[in-house]
Amino acid sequence: MAIAHEFEYFKPESVEGVIELLLKYKGKARLLAGGTDLVVRIKDGLEFPEAVIDIKGLTELGKLEFKNNRLFIGSLVTFNDLIDSKIVEEKFSLLWESSKTIASMGIRNRATIVGNICSAVPSLDSGPVLLVYEANVVVKGSEGERIIPILDWFLGPRKTALNADEFVYEITISLPEKKNGGSYVKLGRYNGEDLAQVGLGILALEGNEYRLAFCAVGPLPCRAKKIEALLNGKSLTDSLIEEAKNLVPEEISPITDVRATKEYRLHMAKIMFERGIKAAVERLNGKGPAYGKKLI
Amino acid sequence: MEEFKFIGKPVDRLDEREKVTGAAKYVDDIEFGPNLLYAEIVESPYAHALIKSIDASEAEKAPGVIKVVMGKDFPYKFGLYMKDRYIFAQDRVRFVGEQVAAVIARDPKTALKAAKLVKVEYEPVPSVFDPIEALKEDAPVIHPELGNYPHVPWFFPKGGTNVAHHTKVRKGNVEKGFKEADFVFEDTYRIPRYAHCCMETHIAVGFLDYSGRLTVWASSASPHTQRNLFADVLAPLGFSHKDIRVIAPYVGGDFGGKAGVTMEIIAVALATAVKGHPVKIMWRRDQEFYNTYMRQQVISKIKVGVKNDGTITAFEITNYWDAGPYVEYGANVVNASGLSATGPYRIPNVKIDSYCIYTNLPAAGPYRGFGYSEMLFSVESHMTRIANAIGIDQVEFRRRNAIREGDSLAYGAPMNPNGLLEAIDKVVKEIDWGKKEISNDPDKAIGKGFAIFWKAPAMPPNVSSTAFIKFSEDGSLNIIVSGMEIGQGYLTAMAQIAAEILTVPPEKIRVELPDTDRNPYNWQTVASQSTWGNGNAVKRAALQIRDRIFEVVHEVYHYDKDTLYLEDEKVKCKLHPSFELPLKDFVIGGIQTEDGTYRGGAIVGSGSFMPEFTSAVQDPETGQGGHPNVHYTVGAAAVKIEIDKQTGKVRILKAVEALDAGKAINPMNIKHQIYGGLLQGFATALYEDMRFDENGKILNPNFTDYKIPTSLDIPDEVVPIIVEVPQPDGPFGARGIGEHPMIPAAPLIANAVEDALGIRIKSMPITAEKIAMAILNGKKEVDDFLMIMKK
Amino acid sequence: MKKISFILNSEKRNVYVEPNDLLLDVLREKLGIKSPKYGCGRGDCGLCTILLNGKSVRTCLILAIEADGQEILTVEGLSKDKLTPLQESFINHNSFQCGFCAPGMIMTATELLEKNQNPAEEEVKEAISGNLCRCTGYTPIIEAILDVNKK
Repeated sequence: MAIAHEFEYFKPESVEGVIELLLKYKGKARLLAGGTDLVVRIKDGLEFPEAVIDIKGLTELGKLEFKNNRLFIGSLVTFNDLIDSKIVEEKFSLLWESSKTIASMGIRNRATIVGNICSAVPSLDSGPVLLVYEANVVVKGSEGERIIPILDWFLGPRKTALNADEFVYEITISLPEKKNGGSYVKLGRYNGEDLAQVGLGILALEGNEYRLAFCAVGPLPCRAKKIEALLNGKSLTDSLIEEAKNLVPEEISPITDVRATKEYRLHMAKIMFERGIKAAVERLNGKGPAYGKKLI
Repeated sequence: MEEFKFIGKPVDRLDEREKVTGAAKYVDDIEFGPNLLYAEIVESPYAHALIKSIDASEAEKAPGVIKVVMGKDFPYKFGLYMKDRYIFAQDRVRFVGEQVAAVIARDPKTALKAAKLVKVEYEPVPSVFDPIEALKEDAPVIHPELGNYPHVPWFFPKGGTNVAHHTKVRKGNVEKGFKEADFVFEDTYRIPRYAHCCMETHIAVGFLDYSGRLTVWASSASPHTQRNLFADVLAPLGFSHKDIRVIAPYVGGDFGGKAGVTMEIIAVALATAVKGHPVKIMWRRDQEFYNTYMRQQVISKIKVGVKNDGTITAFEITNYWDAGPYVEYGANVVNASGLSATGPYRIPNVKIDSYCIYTNLPAAGPYRGFGYSEMLFSVESHMTRIANAIGIDQVEFRRRNAIREGDSLAYGAPMNPNGLLEAIDKVVKEIDWGKKEISNDPDKAIGKGFAIFWKAPAMPPNVSSTAFIKFSEDGSLNIIVSGMEIGQGYLTAMAQIAAEILTVPPEKIRVELPDTDRNPYNWQTVASQSTWGNGNAVKRAALQIRDRIFEVVHEVYHYDKDTLYLEDEKVKCKLHPSFELPLKDFVIGGIQTEDGTYRGGAIVGSGSFMPEFTSAVQDPETGQGGHPNVHYTVGAAAVKIEIDKQTGKVRILKAVEALDAGKAINPMNIKHQIYGGLLQGFATALYEDMRFDENGKILNPNFTDYKIPTSLDIPDEVVPIIVEVPQPDGPFGARGIGEHPMIPAAPLIANAVEDALGIRIKSMPITAEKIAMAILNGKKEVDDFLMIMKK
Repeated sequence: MKKISFILNSEKRNVYVEPNDLLLDVLREKLGIKSPKYGCGRGDCGLCTILLNGKSVRTCLILAIEADGQEILTVEGLSKDKLTPLQESFINHNSFQCGFCAPGMIMTATELLEKNQNPAEEEVKEAISGNLCRCTGYTPIIEAILDVNKK
């Protein structure tokens, strides 16, 4: 219902304006793009900022561009913007597929991928995908611009490498040089919108290179290094998949909560790995289920 | 077969245009002016605690706060069937979230902030959340004064215990019946709490004007019953019925949750504290979960004996209902379902014990099915297992034992005419029962489930419905009733009934929403008895008008009344085909006679209906002797599912349901009830999953974690079937069907899962997780119950 | 208090808001727009949905002040003169029961049909999956949407 907590609202028109406000409020300001995370948290009494800095006044942040083999995703780009983009659908199909699993139309028209990684909730769907694409986060602050590799971005539940005087300007993803196929597999309780109980992003690259990352089964989304080490350089066989499945419990630390038990999460992580990696390799070879088709 | 013009036709809903244009008004859409005040509730964080002190001084001082009220300001008990409930907690709180005080302020933000300033000191005492635990000798007694609570004569609370009521039914001799059986099977099933999740949360605005008249606007299924309860509670303050007015506009969903009185009583009390100011109280979504009625939890122990040929010889069931700490309505859920706990079977020897037990989980009460949705999970699961155990096809088993017209019910009265066998046959055909289907995918299993079901309206024996009908100059009609349009199509059905008799088409009929000052009495819009009860009242009113019309025409034209008839909004005469008198020419202005004077005048009609054969005088020890239920609506249903054996996920390929509506007044709207009700039922079976922590606090009072169906969750195919075996005393033969579509859904899933996988899941919900883990762990029976999450 | 202005159902409106006022509340309490409803306050149910610059959004999660300079369309805007073919289709199909989900559902379906005149059934289900309905079981709603441009 109503928000009782009071705060100032600003809508700066330049990068400098944003940074100035961040400095002024010394960590007690919150950035607002889509608001689908921040507004809920203010209502729930989990955030009580002194100021809300609306970045929607910086139109440059709405850029979604593919240039020099790199995808530039400004911090105002929404998940529906990503889904509607032909470039994303064709060249970054894994990102396209994972974006489609998020929430519903009315949320995706507002929620931004930058907002998603800034929330850094353990179940964020963009996490595994950006990790396997090895994206970079471009931040701007009072000390200038910094590029933070996504692999260094997540520090803990709701904790990122962003400093209090910085904001995310854009995410960049280099188009993988090799031919690739991917899959994002997400466990929900039914067919409707749900937060992931397990999320798994897989990129299979030509030449038997594999990248995998999980979310919702540990305090941060992270790459499954042991499984990658096992698989890299080898072509996929049923026995290799079985061997890799046995490594899944070593890669993840699921918990039991109202959404699922840790036993089910662990069980499903293995199934999702098996189906996901098969689909990724099939897609790499131009076959397999269409992107967007649910594997579980 | 009589051909009707409006009955049995898919007439356009009367309210659809309003709802599609945004014109439909719900309580929060009404403007109450600049004097409107807002209230915020102070709630208990404990499931069971004594209230030591309440300090509202800081809250009262906050600018914009008008008043803070609490239990001591309103020490009045209320309740529909038993008075065990207070407006605000008095000396103790009995569930997490119970209202302890309320802050009334000029605007919602102030009320929110000030509510946090009210300081309450509690002394927690032991609590109990399990109904069987609550029966133990050393369980905390939640209502020490239970023995003194006023209640309806057919309830039997046991003072000094947590047993608020115990329905006993004893028919024949079960010991003998079990001895006669060739096979006896016994097991226990667990059904947790569920939430209605109406789209519109509960809301009430109370306004005591300076002359002392109280008006309440509420999202309510029961304006007259609410007024009655309000008058009862406020009697000590000098109020009676004529001083209170309840207005109910459109209601955004009900499913039983807006029956009786829950939070509306708070608006009433608050209004008396701020005379001259309307005060609004609207539940947030989380409050909607824990502080209205939930669907009760039940532990169901069932034992059935059968002969080798499948004939049931004995049936014994003990249902332990967790009804929460206030059972003023929930006790009737226990009672009503208790009387019918056998399911629609003919059984000579029956023993039913249905206990309504106090616990410290939130208050529970009526939910679509009124106990039948809950307990039929155990009955229909059990019947399938027995049939399979003795090697008889489970549909054939049901056919053999299906109750027929005239059979004696568990409480002795005779069963009404019904199309149960026809429903079974039609469902069998549509689902292709008997044909085992195998999936092409080795990781998937296909299974079919079957269930039969029934329900009778659960209500006191003297429930009345009344209606007024009036004409306008253009020959259009206003039907004035106090039934509620909660979405079920009630307004349209009433219009169709009046239309058929008076030949005024539904497009020229308005059905007015309740206002207890103007609309005549109706008990509640519950129990699936509105089409039947209200429909009869509307029919009587229409017939009265028709009689009056013929009387006036006879008086002026001297045609015999039995030669007159209505057609196309005109009075016609069988003997004089050229005679045609349009209704609009005289229903207001009267008919002019030869000498220039007029006869008739404005024509109005009224109708009142109350069943005169029902009684609640049954023997408390055996349940025999009364006639508590007017009639049963029966049905059969089946489902075909596909299970992914690795993930446990269930996909509903096809769902079929046949309902005996007696006479489908509006077949389109009945089919729509089947779509909605089945989906609601399937959700309780598959993914609605209420959880509490070990201190009785609900963990998922939101849609993020209590999942209700979306458009992506509907079955691949749903086939609704309407059977029509007329209800002799129903309008045009109709009986109610509103609750029924949901009732078989849960056992259908359980039975289909067993058919697909050979795994019997005896506890709800039957989630993908439960199925997958059962397969993984090689379990053949599952009774995991996760509702209370231990650390 | 800050004065903001935006186009509401084709008309320029001005209103004073606090930073912590929600768009849903300002539309309902200060601008007489009652069609978007409160259902959950968390963006989970879709009852509060309107079109902001042509896109369906949850007004319970938008600060009113963010609407400054924008364009908003609600069911009231659709119903001004003739009803839209979508609204007529809902009426023909008796789609809605209690009607509380109708405004949000209608705005989402309006957006869908704007983008895609002849969506497939799966696309309709996807598009409205964020609009919860407890009464209908969705089938009559889906059928009505599919029927709008069916030739």
